[in-house]
Formats: sequence, structure tokens, C-alpha cells
Amino acid sequence: MRIINFAASQAISSSAVLIFLTLLLLAASRRMSNCISLFAAQSAVIAAQVFATAYAHKSVAALMVGIMVVLIKVVAIPYALFQLVKRLHTSRDVKASIAPAGSVFITAALIFISYSAVQSYAKDLNVARDPLAAAVAIIMSGCFLMTSRNKALMQILGLLILENGIFMAALTTTFGMPLVIEIGIVFDLVMGVFLMGIFMFRIRETFNDLDVSKLRKLRG
Amino acid sequence: MTIALRLAQFVFLLLSAPLLLGAITRLKAILQRRRGASIWRPYAELGKLFRKEDLVPGSASWLFRAAPRLAFALTVTAVAFLPIVWSNGLLSFAGDFIVLVYLLAFARFLMMLGAFDGGSSFGGMGASREAMVSVLAEAPLVLSLVALAVAARAGSLTAIVAWTGAQDFFNISVVHVLAFAALTLVAIAETGRLPVDNPATHLELTMLHEAMVLEYSGPSLALIEWAQAIKLNLMIALLIALFAPWGIASGVTAGAILLSIGLYVVKLGIAIVAIAVLESCVAKLRMYAVPEIFGIAAALSILAIVFTLMMKR
Repeated sequence: MRIINFAASQAISSSAVLIFLTLLLLAASRRMSNCISLFAAQSAVIAAQVFATAYAHKSVAALMVGIMVVLIKVVAIPYALFQLVKRLHTSRDVKASIAPAGSVFITAALIFISYSAVQSYAKDLNVARDPLAAAVAIIMSGCFLMTSRNKALMQILGLLILENGIFMAALTTTFGMPLVIEIGIVFDLVMGVFLMGIFMFRIRETFNDLDVSKLRKLRG
Repeated sequence: MTIALRLAQFVFLLLSAPLLLGAITRLKAILQRRRGASIWRPYAELGKLFRKEDLVPGSASWLFRAAPRLAFALTVTAVAFLPIVWSNGLLSFAGDFIVLVYLLAFARFLMMLGAFDGGSSFGGMGASREAMVSVLAEAPLVLSLVALAVAARAGSLTAIVAWTGAQDFFNISVVHVLAFAALTLVAIAETGRLPVDNPATHLELTMLHEAMVLEYSGPSLALIEWAQAIKLNLMIALLIALFAPWGIASGVTAGAILLSIGLYVVKLGIAIVAIAVLESCVAKLRMYAVPEIFGIAAALSILAIVFTLMMKR
């Protein structure tokens, strides 16, 4: 029992490290399928953190949220994205506009910036610094992934990663939002992926490509 | 007693190096649904090469024969700093990890000189490629080791390992994760494994290390191959000691030492499986894509250094 208590208390601070690792790997990877797997791994780390919080605070609502995160973000959405990649018959490349090494450098810088940004804030709010910095870093690198990858699928994935960051920020500062709101957010997310999936097919039909840099042809 | 243990682990690492290579090759063969050669084959191969004649190109100077012998000696010296199953290395002083890095770099430099001295175009080509890889690998290697030393507030490998061993498993620090990622990438390149170099091929256009040693034969080649195997064993032992030292023996009781040896074999087994699976999954990178790997490793190690400033002690 003691070891479980200890693991639960450490999971919250250690998960930040694993999240940084997924962010750096996301910046380095060039294949769509790797990015999706990494997103699933990142969601799994966050789910573990929710479970640890649920255990520490003995809250059933948090447990439900954790189960929901596992079902939707670790299983359902990555599965849907894999299906999307398969059905769209596109190349495996994410079409990065920056070389992998450059992306990793920028992500490293973003992690550093997020640490220095939350430094004083975390002290005032009396919350753990590492998870909050990780949350900010996820949000920023989600934005970075959206802007630096030309494959339209990466825009969905960037948005999902960004949402992971917001979820984690809520988790660390207020120990999660009320259950009803969480359900609403997750439902929103599922619908978002669904709609954007349809949108992808439309983009490919119109432009014969999923490269967003080619969408400029729309200009009249 | 302790000096005997230190000596024993040093000799063990030197002698087990070909076995490690044999195990990886065998496992790769099994993964590719071949039967594969015996895991003892590298020993037989070394024995064969030692008995053969040492052919030297007519244009070569004394350097050609001296280079592999000196490089072997330097690699063996580098091993002396490693704690493996016993928490102290054979030699240990503040800053010894930097000496380790540059002993390996010096060995590599000598091998490059030897390759140029051989006078064949392949030797020169291989040496210049090797020079590029080692120049790029040096910064992340040194930086990540320095990051670990700063995190542990210790100067010698022995002290760093002792500090890491005293830490909690659940309390992984950012520095260690980042340095581990960077060091693994560098270790792959340093030891000439896939995806940076293919150790199994003599296909001219893709070779790095193999092109460099193409002119060598007999005992010289045996020493080169052995040194290369020792280097792989050294890198794996270094990664194990720095990032998973739990269970390493520090007391002189039979139980502790046996436990330490058992755990080390398990960790080594995991490393062997990881290398075999990785090498079966990936293809060799183009030469021009190799700097990217080092760019990533450099970014990770710089981030590791930055995080040592933020670590709570």
C-alpha cells in the first residue's frame, strides 16, 4: 500500500518528464503514424496523472474523467486518425517546413520558456511547478506543430495536443474541472475530429493533396 | 579484495565484448527468420585473424601498423573508468568521464591516420566520413555527460553512478531522461551501428567504419574488431551505469555481488534485445541525414544542461 501511495504522489511530478519526451519526439518524427502514436502515449501519461490525482483525493469524478480520457484520447481518437490516414491514401511524411533538428531546438526552447513563464506563477498559486510548465509547453508546442507542418492532418493533431495541454493545466491548477464540463469538452473534441475528418476528404477532393501550403490557390 | 573485484569487472568487460557482438548478431538473425551463426563465432574469428599474416601496403609507413595497436590500448584504458557490477571503476578521479570521451576520440583519430596511411581511396573516404561523424558526436556526448555530472554534483563516473543509485526510481529527473536520449543517439553513432553505419556490410558506398579498416588484415584487423566490440560493450555498460545503476554492489558480500551480477546480466539482455529489434526495424540513413540525428542529440543535451540549473537539490 505504501508503495502505491508513493507512486501516486511521484506520478504527478514525474509525468512532466515523460511529457517533455513525447513533445521532443513529436518535433523529431517525420511520419504521420509515429506522431499519432506519440499523441496516444502523451494522452496515456496525462490519464495516469488523472488517476494519480483521483487516488490522492479519493474522488470518483476524477476517476470517471480518467477512464474517459483513456477511452477517447488513448484509444478512440488515435484509432480514428489511423483510419483517416489509411483511407486518405496520402504519403507518410508530415511535410515539415523546418528540419527535425531545428524543430527539436525550437521545442527545447519552448520548454525552457514555459518553465521560466510559470516560475513565479506556480509559487503564488502554490501548485507544483513541473506539471504546470509541462502543460504550458504542450500548449505552445501544439501551436508550433500546427504552424510548422504542412500536412493538413497535422493541424488536427496539433489541435488535439494543444487541448491535452489545456486539460493538463486545468488538472494541475484546480485538480480538474467538474465532470459535466469534462464530458462536454471530450464530446466537443470527438465532434471536432469527426468534422475535420470530413473536411480532409473535401480538401483532398478539391486540391488533390493534403498540403495546406497549396490552399493559397483559393485567393481570387 | 575490492581491487580484485575492480580488476575482475574490467577483464570481464574486455573478454565478454565479442560474446555481446555474437549475441546481437544471432538475435538479429533469429528476428529475420534465419538460423544465424553461433554466438561464439566472433571469438573464432578473432582467433583466426590473430593466426594470419599481417599484410601492409607497400606505401604505408610504421603508422599503419601502430595505429590499431595504439587505438586498442586507448579503448582498453577507457574501460578502466567504468563501474560495472562493482560500484568503483578500476581507475577513478575527478573529471574522468572527460578523459574517457577523449581517449575514445584519440583512438578514433589514430584509426583515421592509419586509414589515410594505407593509401587506398576507400580508406581516405571512410576516414573522412568517420571524422565528420565523430566531430558531430563529440558535442552531445560531452554535454550530456557534463549535465549528469552537474546534476550529481560529482566529478568522477564512480561518484555520479553512486549518486544516481541512491535516487528513487519514481523520481526521474528531466536531466536524466534528456541525457539518456542524447547519449543513446550518440552511442549508436559512436559504435557504428544502424541506422548511422551498417556493421554487417562491405558495400562500398555506404560504409563508414568498414571502409576505414578495409586495408587491414591479420592481427591488426583482429585488434580493430576487438576494439570495436569493446567500444560497443563500453557504451552499453556506460548507459547502464549512468541511467540504471540500481542493484550495483557496493558491499563486499557474496550475496550483494551475485545480485549485482544477475541484475547486470538482465539489463545487458534488455540492451541486446533493444539493439537487435532496432537494427531489424530501421534502414541505414543516408549520409546527409546523419547530421540531423546529431542535431537532435545536441538539442537534447543542451536542454539537459539547462535543466540542471532548475533542478531542486
